[in-house]
Amino acid sequence: MGEHVEADNAEAIITRIEHKSRKIESLLKQYKPVEALKTALEGSPPKTRDERCKSANWIVVHSALMAIKDVDLMFSSLDPEYYDILMKYLYRGLSTGDRPTCDQCLRIHEKLTQRAGLGCILRALSDTVNTV
Amino acid sequence: MFHQVGCFVVTDFNYENKMTVEEFRGYLGYNNEIDRYLIGMRVLAVDDDPTCLKLLDGLLRKCQNQEKARKCMWFAHDNAVFAVCWIKCKRQIEMAAIAVHQFADCITCHAWSPDQSMVALCPNNNEVHIYKLVEENWERIHVLQKHDQIIVGIDWSKSSNRIVTVSHDRNSYVWNEEGSLWVPTLVILRLNRAALCVQWSPKGNKFAVGSGAKTVCICYYEQENNWWVSKLIRKRHDSSVTSVAWHPNNVLIATTSTDGKCRVFSTFIKGVDAGKPKKSGSGSLDAKFGEQIVQLDLSFCWAFGVKWSPSGNSLAYVGHNSMIYFVDQVGPSPLAQSVVLRDLPLRDVMFVSEKLVIGVGFDCNPMVFAADGTGLWSFVRYLDEKKAASSSGRYGSQFTEAFGKFYGSSKQGTSNDKGRAGVHDNCINCIVPLKKSESTKMTSFSTSGLDGKMVIWDLKNQEDLVEYL
Repeated sequence: MGEHVEADNAEAIITRIEHKSRKIESLLKQYKPVEALKTALEGSPPKTRDERCKSANWIVVHSALMAIKDVDLMFSSLDPEYYDILMKYLYRGLSTGDRPTCDQCLRIHEKLTQRAGLGCILRALSDTVNTV
Repeated sequence: MFHQVGCFVVTDFNYENKMTVEEFRGYLGYNNEIDRYLIGMRVLAVDDDPTCLKLLDGLLRKCQNQEKARKCMWFAHDNAVFAVCWIKCKRQIEMAAIAVHQFADCITCHAWSPDQSMVALCPNNNEVHIYKLVEENWERIHVLQKHDQIIVGIDWSKSSNRIVTVSHDRNSYVWNEEGSLWVPTLVILRLNRAALCVQWSPKGNKFAVGSGAKTVCICYYEQENNWWVSKLIRKRHDSSVTSVAWHPNNVLIATTSTDGKCRVFSTFIKGVDAGKPKKSGSGSLDAKFGEQIVQLDLSFCWAFGVKWSPSGNSLAYVGHNSMIYFVDQVGPSPLAQSVVLRDLPLRDVMFVSEKLVIGVGFDCNPMVFAADGTGLWSFVRYLDEKKAASSSGRYGSQFTEAFGKFYGSSKQGTSNDKGRAGVHDNCINCIVPLKKSESTKMTSFSTSGLDGKMVIWDLKNQEDLVEYL
């Protein structure tokens, strides 16, 4: 598949993520958690192998995920194109073992599976190349 | 025959005196619209009493299974006469599955004889069982025993009537019918890993074997030495070759692999294939044996089940990530489409026509995919309607309970009490076309799976799909 990102490009990605994180913080302050989540999921750098980039993006997605209070409302305004990437982050969240994170991820996982089907889970689990 | 889907409203009648059935019929006969309510009719029943509705539900279900019904039923509940007129309630959708037979506990693969009177299958062991349909019963007429391990691929050549089998024991046998016996000939594949799949070429003079040794063996018959020679395509594959498919030109071959890629190679063999390889829309003019024509990087996980369309212009294959890939204009600049599946992954596909593909897999229910006028492929529906109806909106009963425990709350009580009520109970891993002769359109095919059943399907009664055939 495509070339993986070089180390110096990783710095550029991290800068972009930091910029994204500030935008998300402001969205969260405005009580727009769904917008925040969309911004966090957008431009996720799955093609990079750099763990720092992945971790940086995960932190940003995590903050948006934890702010979601009404899961059904979130899905009514989230486009289906985000389902697969969201599922990957949910599994990352579940793997942390942290109680509040896992609770939230599980709650969202239930609704996401209902909406997107088992195929979404399959795609999150079977893709070992584009990981989050 | 009208195809209009109308809506018939039935409401709670309240009559002083009960009507006789004749009178009721007369009442309805007044309305000449009766003949319009045909296949696909939906009924909206309105009643303030839930018991009536429940009874009505039962009636309608019973009615569904009857061939022709010009039924008029009515019954009374308290003072109300609750009447239903069910006009020509021919079952809305004809079942696509026309025959089912349980051959074994589990079937690994199967293949049909050229005249389709016999089927050869592997019942998940090292034997091939050949069954013949004798007066509505399947009788086992041959057992072919030669392999040491499980047989994972069987193909029966239409042109030469030879059977080829491949097994995890790294061997392949070509079986020739001599009188009433099947005589095996060992083919030395030179593999150091299991063979995984096999297919005869369209002309029946070559066959291809995909293996766990990351190679594809192309075997052909050498007249002088009276044996089958194996030529290996060693390069390019990074992992096991899970399926092989011959292009109609008898030279190109497509493969899928657990490295996620689908590749097309040339298998031109001097002396076996005439002249130089011809350009036929795909493939280069002078491709040597083993030369890769195209590599498709659409999947990031295991790929299975590649097949060419009847013309050889398109191909389709599936990924273990619940995706199906369609590639048109296979060649230097192919047009690829990925279709996302909602449910479980597929294992095998088959082209019914240029615009219709059937996929089978872990959902135990064949999936229909069709291309519209612009060439855009999409999922149409499941073929097994009974199953589809019971699992619509929910994702299979066996998972519902598991998820219930997972989420810490009991979900949906008894959920689908029908369970896996469709034709297949377990993963379908093999789909084979059934074509009477070269001239007729193909409408029927057979599937076999881990449940040990073989099901024969026919699409000619599926009205919504006829346009694609």
